[in-house]
Amino acid sequence: MKHVFTISIVIILLTGCATPTSLYTWSNYSTLAHNYLKNSDEVSTTKLFDGYDEVINNQKGTRSAVPPGIYADYAFLLLERGEVERAREMLNKEITLYPESKVFIEHILKMIEE
Amino acid sequence: MKQYIINTIIITLALLISACSTSSKLTKSTAYKGVYTEKPTTVLLMPPINKSTNVEAKDYFHATLNVPIVNSGYYVIPPFLSMAILKQESAYDSELFVDAPLNTFREVFGADVALFTIIHKWDKSAIGATVTVKIEYILKSTTTNEVLFSRIGDIIYNASVDTNIGGLAGILADLAASAINTAATKYVDLAKSCNAHTFRDLPAGKYHPNYEKDSEHMAGHKNFRVRLP
Repeated sequence: MKHVFTISIVIILLTGCATPTSLYTWSNYSTLAHNYLKNSDEVSTTKLFDGYDEVINNQKGTRSAVPPGIYADYAFLLLERGEVERAREMLNKEITLYPESKVFIEHILKMIEE
Repeated sequence: MKQYIINTIIITLALLISACSTSSKLTKSTAYKGVYTEKPTTVLLMPPINKSTNVEAKDYFHATLNVPIVNSGYYVIPPFLSMAILKQESAYDSELFVDAPLNTFREVFGADVALFTIIHKWDKSAIGATVTVKIEYILKSTTTNEVLFSRIGDIIYNASVDTNIGGLAGILADLAASAINTAATKYVDLAKSCNAHTFRDLPAGKYHPNYEKDSEHMAGHKNFRVRLP
């Protein structure tokens, strides 16, 4: 009885300060983002694309939504590769999902047109 | 037996209170008044200002700042796109802007606030097991130029503990696939921990269920000292 009680208390202690479930899940995005920031080569770019795909397609956050900035930064990588049409699609998705991005993203869309 | 249970409960409660007691005596609405009055939603990350002797420190923080702020319910301007534009507009040196009017950033980026990060110190111990970091975060309004949120942390990070959520298999897969070195992974984790610890105190943004509900929660100390993880 004493042991059961003590074990229960330890469990309560361990979970007492735990943070609640996150709005979004990120897989290993930060490591890949850092690797891209540092190297910006083909390998790090491809890995970051994979990271974005994972965040978009396997999102387990409580909002069940793609996190802010992901579509737009995906577009940035596409622009670096010259894939303008796909980039434009992604930028428009960012505006649809997050209207507060409009000022900045429209600035980027204009730059693409020029 | 009854006495044992009562004693255990008292000790447990004391431990629980002390374990979670990192708060100041101020509510969030007092400590971060401007956040509640201005209600910012859109955050621009300025490239970190690195005053430490470790040239790599800037990238570790730059790559990891968006996640905790987004997880707090804010819209963070896409970090790579904004970095490219800041470079293009010759605005990549954040030191020039930390005390300057920020209204241009509202016009160009639609940002309500700009986040300045100053890495004051990044020192590795001789055997590399611990890293001591002193870091300051300043969130400034692009409308009023007021500081809405700021914290300075002295953080001792135990770099010998693996905190990667992906687990060993994930790390090995990354290593094989992209030659990410273990030191980089470790220091990315360090930056993530520093950011997460600091922004845990940020009032919830509009995408968070606690938005406008946490004003009476207790705020953490502006200057804090912590051992992580």
